[in-house]
Amino acid sequence: MAGQDIKRREVLRAIGIAAIASHFPGFVKWAYAGAHEPASDDPAAASPQAFSPQFFSSEEFARIERLSELIIPSDETPGAREAGVAEFIDFMVAHDTEQQKPMRAGLAWLDEQSGRRFARPFLEVSEAQQVSLLEPLAYSARYRAGEEAGREFFRRMKELTLMGFYSSEIGWRELDNPASRFYAKSPACPHVNDPAHQHLPPPRW
Amino acid sequence: MVTGVPRLYDAIVIGTGAGGGMAIKTLCEAGLKVCAINAGRRLDPNKDFRHHRKPWDMKFRGFGDPAKRAESYGYMDNEWVEGVWEHEIPFTTAPGTQWMWPRCFAVGGKTNFWGRSSARMGDIDFRAGSLSGAGVDWPLEYREIAPFYSRVERMIGVASTVQNRPSNPDGEYLPAFNFRCLDHILQQGGLKAGIPYLPDRLAQLTRSLDGSPPCHFCGACTTGCDTGSFFSTPWRFLPRAEATGNLDLRTNALAKNVLVDENGLASGVAYVDRNTGQEVEVRARVVVVAASCLESARIMLNSKSRTWPEGIANSSGQLGRNLCDHLYGQSAEGYLPQLLGQPSFPDNVGDAQIAWMPRWQNLENPHEEKFANGYSVYPWGGCQEYPWDAMSIEGFGSSFKREVKRRYPTPVSFSIQAPSLPSPTNYLDLDPEVKDKYGIPVARLHFQWDDNVLQMFEHSKQACAELLQAAGAVNEGAAKDPNMPGWSLHETGTCRMGNDPKHFVTNRFGQTHDVNNLYVCDASVFPSSTDKTTTISILAFTLRTCEHMLDNFRNGVHRRA
Repeated sequence: MAGQDIKRREVLRAIGIAAIASHFPGFVKWAYAGAHEPASDDPAAASPQAFSPQFFSSEEFARIERLSELIIPSDETPGAREAGVAEFIDFMVAHDTEQQKPMRAGLAWLDEQSGRRFARPFLEVSEAQQVSLLEPLAYSARYRAGEEAGREFFRRMKELTLMGFYSSEIGWRELDNPASRFYAKSPACPHVNDPAHQHLPPPRW
Repeated sequence: MVTGVPRLYDAIVIGTGAGGGMAIKTLCEAGLKVCAINAGRRLDPNKDFRHHRKPWDMKFRGFGDPAKRAESYGYMDNEWVEGVWEHEIPFTTAPGTQWMWPRCFAVGGKTNFWGRSSARMGDIDFRAGSLSGAGVDWPLEYREIAPFYSRVERMIGVASTVQNRPSNPDGEYLPAFNFRCLDHILQQGGLKAGIPYLPDRLAQLTRSLDGSPPCHFCGACTTGCDTGSFFSTPWRFLPRAEATGNLDLRTNALAKNVLVDENGLASGVAYVDRNTGQEVEVRARVVVVAASCLESARIMLNSKSRTWPEGIANSSGQLGRNLCDHLYGQSAEGYLPQLLGQPSFPDNVGDAQIAWMPRWQNLENPHEEKFANGYSVYPWGGCQEYPWDAMSIEGFGSSFKREVKRRYPTPVSFSIQAPSLPSPTNYLDLDPEVKDKYGIPVARLHFQWDDNVLQMFEHSKQACAELLQAAGAVNEGAAKDPNMPGWSLHETGTCRMGNDPKHFVTNRFGQTHDVNNLYVCDASVFPSSTDKTTTISILAFTLRTCEHMLDNFRNGVHRRA
């Protein structure tokens, strides 16, 4: 029976996860992020052990983590911090020689900007000040001449953050990602009487 | 399994993909003793298809090891199917040629991971040469091949609808995949813009067939199927061939050349056992080359002998020539504001592929457009496993996070499938210097897109922009350049079929003109590229070739071993 097949596969998949996770020592949060309730009051509960980054210094890692949560914040739903995105970024950059130099240089550039404008490093300025440092890198209407390197760094940081977040179980929950489920019939559009989709219910969000 | 391995086989089949698999099944079921030679290993769906794993179960989250990025074949060569695409055997390109050549040497070849789109070709394709004045006609009419298409459709199961389109004959179909929200919206746009938007023809089971369960709509087809619910030879053909007891399947056996006797007839095949590095010879009455368009030509070009100094069955000089490919490229992308903020929907259940826009150009009048022949377009979109368009949304923070969620069900894009024309400068030969690790000369590609196919690409950009506008969509533009040649995996022409032995490698049955016990069963025999994919036609033409060969065994042209 097809239904039993699906159950069997789910069990095999669960076994597979345990086997895989045990192959990757060094992960604390993200390999297991899916196993934890995202709505936990204490995000640190997902991280039972201290994490040591593979590539970044612990001070650089703190900036990566802060940037990731500025890009995908924890608000009504969990964000990059709960999904362990910074650990994912450290892991990917550790395996990607093309990213290492520009990522490290970008972090230094950001601290330099922060120092110039607010006389303190990035992690020590207020959230509003941090946001004001990123906005000219993130919105084309606010781009400034001479900041190409900063924008390139922000693009890299944003891409890695999205990769880490939306490939996590928390990220899938955020989007209600319907992939990799099983269906008995080919799912059909529920609005066949409105083919142009002009009369849908109001947007959910 | 064969017991007491015979010294001489009735037939050797090189390759186990669509053509090889069909040949092996047909010949074994007819009682022939068959030795199949396959360049790679057997896959184990439980180990090699990891497609029900979530990205967070994968070491690199499914994005792949950055260190292997340079050698990856792109979207299909990914972490879910690690180690199944060939990276050991190199190839070279002539100066100015770019070519991407994903090869799957595993048993079943590319049928393990193919796109499943399965439209019949018709007379508009077979007569394209005389209709448009570019290229050559095929040496047969649609009515000759139509019964073979029907038999193949009943064998493999193709889900679609009867569409009554002039460019693509209808077949015998299982119930089609249901349209998603985005399909209805785009179809409405197509109606206004005069562009057909219809269910694709998918070799994917919407109900069970001959013991294979129906699709479970997980959407991960490009990384294999663990229930055999879309057509592949390891699930659907090879077990039947093995059950006859007539098949000896040799894996990790890299075909080197076809062996010939003193009269220049095929007498067997030499291969390298990749486990030991040893060369092995097998003998047979008949040899079927079905290694895929480029590999088949390479093996035949490398089959040099006193009788065939330029490669076996190459008295026409056409072996390796007339190479055509499908141009793929993004004709448009955008999003559907109608679906902003709507609940997510399982849009990806057919691995994004549910609908197609079959050729609508040059139908009534072959010279209506500036280009010859015509192209098709595949639409994609909706909620994908990863929100690939999120990087195109500006900003960061809570408003950005919300916008990603609002946009999640909305993206759409269009990919053109357009045939290049045969050209004397597009061909494959053996690299005179470079050899693979087993000492076999590697393939060297010579290829450029022609103006005709590039004009189709530009035409498709305008057409898709019109469709998007008519659908009320936001158009975010097209790719400037097409994908790299080779990307489609739809190469044709290197052993083209035709009636005149001076200009064609095989006759109208895929039997080489020069060597009557050498047959070719893959897309290399197709004299031109069309707007349709190649697999179902490989299956239909191979079935016809094999029945012609079996007739030749019956009437004494070939003797049994």
